[in-house]
Amino acid sequence: MKAPVLQLVDVTRRFPGVLALDDVSFDVLPGEVHALVGENGAGKSTLINLVSGVLQPDSGHLQFAGTRVNVADPVAARRLGIATVHQEADFFPTLSVAENMALLQGLPVNRLGLIRWDDVHAQARRAVDAIGEPIDVGQPASQLSIAHRHMVQIAAAVQQQAQVVILDEPTSALTAVEAEWLFAQIDRMKENSVGIVYISHRQEEVLRLADRITVLRDGRRIWTKAAEGVTTDALIQAMVGREVQGTSDPVPTTDADDPRRADSHTSPDDAPRLRVRNLNDVDGRVCNVSFDVRAGEIVGVYGLVGAGRTELAHTIFGIGHRASGIVEVDGLTPTIRSPRDALGAGIAYVPEDRLRQGICRSLSLRFNTVISTLNRLSRGWFADRNAEREAARNVVDQLAVRHRSLEQPIGQLSGGNQQKVVLGRWLLSEPKVLILDEPTRGIDVGAKAEIHQLLRHEAERGTAVVMISSELPEVLQHSDRILVLRNGELAASFDAASATAMEVAAAALPQTAAGPTKARRAARLPGTVMGLPLGELGLLLMVIVLAAWLGLTSDGFFQAGNLTLLLADIALWTILGLAAATVIVAGGIDISVGSLLALAAACAGLILKQPMSPAVTIPLAIGVALLVGTAGGLVNGATSLLGRVHPIVVTLGMMILYRGLVIALLRGQQISYLPRSFGYLAIHAESGFRGTIVIGALAALLVHVVLSRTRTGRHLYAIGSSPTAARLVGISPARTWLVAFGIGGLLAGLAGVIELSSSMQMQAQLANGWELQAIAVAVIGGFSITGGRGHVVGVVLGSALLRLVHSALVRWEISGDQVRFVVGGMILVVVLLDLVWRRWQR
Amino acid sequence: MSHSWKRALATLFPWCLLACGIILVATQVERPGALVHLGVQKARIGALAAVMTAIILTGGIDLSVGSMVALSSVVMGVVWNAGVPAEVAALTAIAAGFTAGATNGVLVVIGLSPLVATLATMAFYSGLAMLLSGARKITEFPETWLDACTFGGVPNEYWLLLATFVVAIVIVHGTRFGNWCYAIGDNPIAARFAAVPVNWTQWWLYAASGLVAGFLAVVYTMRQGANPTAHQGLELQVIACVVVGGTLITGGRGSIPRTLLGLAVISSLDIGLSFLSFKVEFLTADARLMVIGALLVLVAVGNEWLARSRE
Repeated sequence: MKAPVLQLVDVTRRFPGVLALDDVSFDVLPGEVHALVGENGAGKSTLINLVSGVLQPDSGHLQFAGTRVNVADPVAARRLGIATVHQEADFFPTLSVAENMALLQGLPVNRLGLIRWDDVHAQARRAVDAIGEPIDVGQPASQLSIAHRHMVQIAAAVQQQAQVVILDEPTSALTAVEAEWLFAQIDRMKENSVGIVYISHRQEEVLRLADRITVLRDGRRIWTKAAEGVTTDALIQAMVGREVQGTSDPVPTTDADDPRRADSHTSPDDAPRLRVRNLNDVDGRVCNVSFDVRAGEIVGVYGLVGAGRTELAHTIFGIGHRASGIVEVDGLTPTIRSPRDALGAGIAYVPEDRLRQGICRSLSLRFNTVISTLNRLSRGWFADRNAEREAARNVVDQLAVRHRSLEQPIGQLSGGNQQKVVLGRWLLSEPKVLILDEPTRGIDVGAKAEIHQLLRHEAERGTAVVMISSELPEVLQHSDRILVLRNGELAASFDAASATAMEVAAAALPQTAAGPTKARRAARLPGTVMGLPLGELGLLLMVIVLAAWLGLTSDGFFQAGNLTLLLADIALWTILGLAAATVIVAGGIDISVGSLLALAAACAGLILKQPMSPAVTIPLAIGVALLVGTAGGLVNGATSLLGRVHPIVVTLGMMILYRGLVIALLRGQQISYLPRSFGYLAIHAESGFRGTIVIGALAALLVHVVLSRTRTGRHLYAIGSSPTAARLVGISPARTWLVAFGIGGLLAGLAGVIELSSSMQMQAQLANGWELQAIAVAVIGGFSITGGRGHVVGVVLGSALLRLVHSALVRWEISGDQVRFVVGGMILVVVLLDLVWRRWQR
Repeated sequence: MSHSWKRALATLFPWCLLACGIILVATQVERPGALVHLGVQKARIGALAAVMTAIILTGGIDLSVGSMVALSSVVMGVVWNAGVPAEVAALTAIAAGFTAGATNGVLVVIGLSPLVATLATMAFYSGLAMLLSGARKITEFPETWLDACTFGGVPNEYWLLLATFVVAIVIVHGTRFGNWCYAIGDNPIAARFAAVPVNWTQWWLYAASGLVAGFLAVVYTMRQGANPTAHQGLELQVIACVVVGGTLITGGRGSIPRTLLGLAVISSLDIGLSFLSFKVEFLTADARLMVIGALLVLVAVGNEWLARSRE
């Protein structure tokens, strides 16, 4: 008898208003597939979250390989050897597939601390080869289809040699062939004594794969049995909680006072309030769906995850784009291209994701209730707060929303009450058609019952109600008719009074264990050519063309003197551009770089003017300048972090403050007459050699190494790409944020030293306004303002391009101030092109 | 310190600053009449701050306001030089401002981050202003214009300030447009699902910003001519007023009357300190800047903390 590799012992976990897990014990043996089955809200997600370290149990404990453990966070779980493949995993969209996979376990480094990219790519390729699909591990993870993303996760879990692998609805996005690959991986893992927890709604899969099955219902473990001998009937019965007596008997209800009606309130002669005919959406998630809903009936829409139910609702409501088909409301065919149009047509939609799509958290209960129907509650153009309050009070009373005050932020209410408010919001619009997407998900039993009663009441008033749900009992007990969606198509339609759970569940299952069989996306343009991303290649081309043009049209362009001057200019702006870029890549922004440059230069200048030997003052000045720059950057980063204020506000204030400091230090004087040897740093007057170029090149090289070959550098990209995913892999967003600002400040200080050295004087207004150009260089160079993307090469090329444009404009006798026009235009062009490119890729 | 003490402190802080500022001004002013003219600069910032508040409420930002003023001002000057009557020149300037703002609106609606879009247009419009004016000031305006610069004894800038605040307060706090702004700032996705016209609202806000910039340009040009470089850095002072007033940069929280508070705080402190600097030696322009910069950050942090503690 093998000992379990993972055990949950008497685990309980509560959320406000919900007992998610009630004294549950669960264990996984090495080499077995233990299936976890249950309806939505049964507690499966909570159990997974406990095992993967996202949540902690309120009571009870976990044991791993016999020893009691505390899985404090996802990193700890991974270190123990527990790999979780979530349905909707957080990942780093701008980082490559290979890097995503490597970050799960920490990027491998050599003795110097540099990342072994070859190993990263080799490992990723090995894992992906096992999948057998043409996946390029070098492409950004955002370009993977959902199916591929899942498969990569699974392959990574296999490769990590985890001892416990949790698979949450792994086949929901896979085709039949891909699912077979998954099953082969599972066999491999079993041979390697990996314990597998398999969560799925697909009973056929469960019965095929599982060695043992555990059923959860309402947070309690109902039973755990060997899979042999378990029938689908028994499974459904355990999940749903009632006896299933063959195909002809209806499932009895629990609410004696709200029985499912055997007779409909509508007669077949009533024209349908909602007619949908041959509806297709542009993404292929809704395929030729047609159905009617009559006044007073509740139509339940059931289906598995990915069946297209939400997409159907979105297409009707005007959020998804309709490719073809008709939506008719009360005989009229309105144009519906936005939720606003839908509202006007009398269609209401209560979204699936309450937090993200439903409520405005910090705004009041009253606000959230009346937001969609303000036109009815205003006097002409002006808002009528009294009318709003009255309407909100009516809703709150009718729907029994438990609250403290109408002005209370809605975020303080429980999930069930928030849901009632969103429902009430739409009821205020007196809709003809009311569509609800998972209306009782994540809500306690009491509130669930109340919402069901509300829906019935609304239907009795004549509204056509569509209720999308993944909970079989809900659909069976609280609708009049049931539509089953499968793979985007309408698979079956049942009369709820006579349907059985078996029939409905069976209709939702694909014939084989297949998912969407849509054709694969057409091949996209390659992201890189010869190792250089397409964007940088374009920049290089523009630089070459512009340089050539300048060389041809102006004498002396290619003269050594002119070229070195140009290169020195480019070097300085590369450094400043990198100062902006390192902060931008981490998801921040620093508009004080100009003032920091000036501050560093001022400090250096003042030290240089001290009556000491230049051998002392010069190193001291450089050191202090770099220190001042770094300190300034750190202050910016720390203030935005600790004060939780957006960096644009902090760096705006600091920009003003640092500039004030500069003026104070200079006391209205100009710094000049610096020791000659200091100037050699930038220019050696006699030979014309420009040290700036060397310093710039070295700085660029160093930053490149840090950003692309050290862990810290990659962490900058990680937090810019997805701060939530970063936390899940153990990267500290706070520490990394500070590092980004620190490096940015350091580079600004360096730029200050160079600028002072090359002009040998400074005034208080030095570098005023330079932050715009620095950010321009970074953005043109490929660093997206949202973070997580960009290469140092791009900054060099961006700097070169801008300086060449500058030279060109000077030749045309357009002054420096007018250059801003071109700079602005270039930023716009680059950012628009990027937007178009990104949209096209999707 | 207990929680409610801290909250009281954070709420009162801007008011204390205002009190300090007013006391400074009242005690240090030598020629009260000059206050009206010193305040004109602040009134300009205030007019723009009214619209900027609404934009920031939606979670956006407009860094190009200064450049839009410069552009409209130059357009007015250039058109006037071409021999067009003053009224037409003024209308052209306003139209130019509106177009610039509308373009910002289009960029934001198609999906660019407002930060990047208005950063780029800030450079673009100011460069355009430079180009059109040949980087020169246009100051040969008839004397009669100067008379038209005040109305009822009060400089036009104050009327513009009053008008923009009144209109902004009415629209944002009295109509559903305002509710839409708050919803977009709190959760743009939920706002869309709640049938709020997100794109339309945002476009109009940025266009309004350009419109006000156009009006401001007319008022400014009538007094001081068309100077393409005179408005650099304006946007930062405008944003400072909004932030000090208590509107969160992330959107969804704040109000337009509070921006008046921010404007009052910054104006009174700036003017008060500048008066003081005549008497106290070390209080120079730099010290004023440092004070304002530090205050901006402090108040912003305090406001964030306050907002968080309310939840």
